Amino acid sequence: MSSTAPLEVTVDPELDDLLDEDRPWVVIVWNDPINLMSYVTLVLQKLFGYSKAKATQLMLQVHHEGKAVVSNGTRSEAERDLFRLHEHGLWATMQQD
Amino acid sequence: MGLFDRRGPFRRTSEGTYAVTLGDTDRKLLGDLVVQLRSLITTDSPALARLFPPAYGDDEERNAGYAALAGAELVERRLAALDLVQSTLEAEELTEEELSTWMRSLNDVRLVLGTILDVDEEHDPPEDEDLVPMYATYEYLGYLLERVVQALAS
Repeated sequence: MSSTAPLEVTVDPELDDLLDEDRPWVVIVWNDPINLMSYVTLVLQKLFGYSKAKATQLMLQVHHEGKAVVSNGTRSEAERDLFRLHEHGLWATMQQD
Repeated sequence: MGLFDRRGPFRRTSEGTYAVTLGDTDRKLLGDLVVQLRSLITTDSPALARLFPPAYGDDEERNAGYAALAGAELVERRLAALDLVQSTLEAEELTEEELSTWMRSLNDVRLVLGTILDVDEEHDPPEDEDLVPMYATYEYLGYLLERVVQALAS
C-alpha cells in the first residue's frame, strides 16, 4: 500500500451523467399468450444470432418465469434491439440494469 | 394439396427457396386480412396495442419519446411487409427473405386478432358466438405460422 495522501475525488456532474448513460441497458422479452413458442425462438435466433439451444432456453425462461433478458448494451444498442423485437411483434421493453 | 399436403404448405427447396402450395381460398383469405390490417394500422385502434408496445414499461415520458421516434418507422416497416405479401400472394415460390416477411405479417395479423379476442393462456374459444369465426381465423393463422416457422428453421 502506498502511504501518500488519498486522491481527492471530485465528481463532475456532467461526467456523472455520461457514466450513468454508460451503465448497461437490458432488453427484456415478456411472456404473452399470443406469440407462438416456435416463433419467439426463431426470432431470437434470427435477430441475435443465438444458437437454437440458447434461443430455446431464453424462450422457455420467458414462458415459465414471465420474462427474460435477451440482450444488453448501451442505450442506443438496446433501442435498436428493442425496435427489431417490436418489428417482429414481440412484447419487449428496455431498462437500465 | 395445400393444407393437406404433409410437406406443405411451405417447403424448402433444394435451391434454398420456399415452395408455397396454398390453395386459392387460403390465399384469398390472407389477401383479405392483409388489406384489413393495412387500413387499420394507421389508426389509433386499441386492437393495435400489441404491435406498438411501450418501450420502457411504466415510464410514460420515455414511452412517449420512443413512440415519437420509432412509431412512424414501425408503421412504415409493417406497411412495406404487407405490400410485399400482397404482391407475392399468388407466388408458388418465395425467397427466404420474402417468406420471413410473410411470417412477420402473419404474426401481426394474428396479434391483432388475438388482442380483439382477448386470448389468454387457456386458449378457450370465445363465449360470444359472433367472435367464433374470428377465433377460427386466429387458430388457422397459428397453424400457418407454425408451418412457416418450421420451413424457415429447416
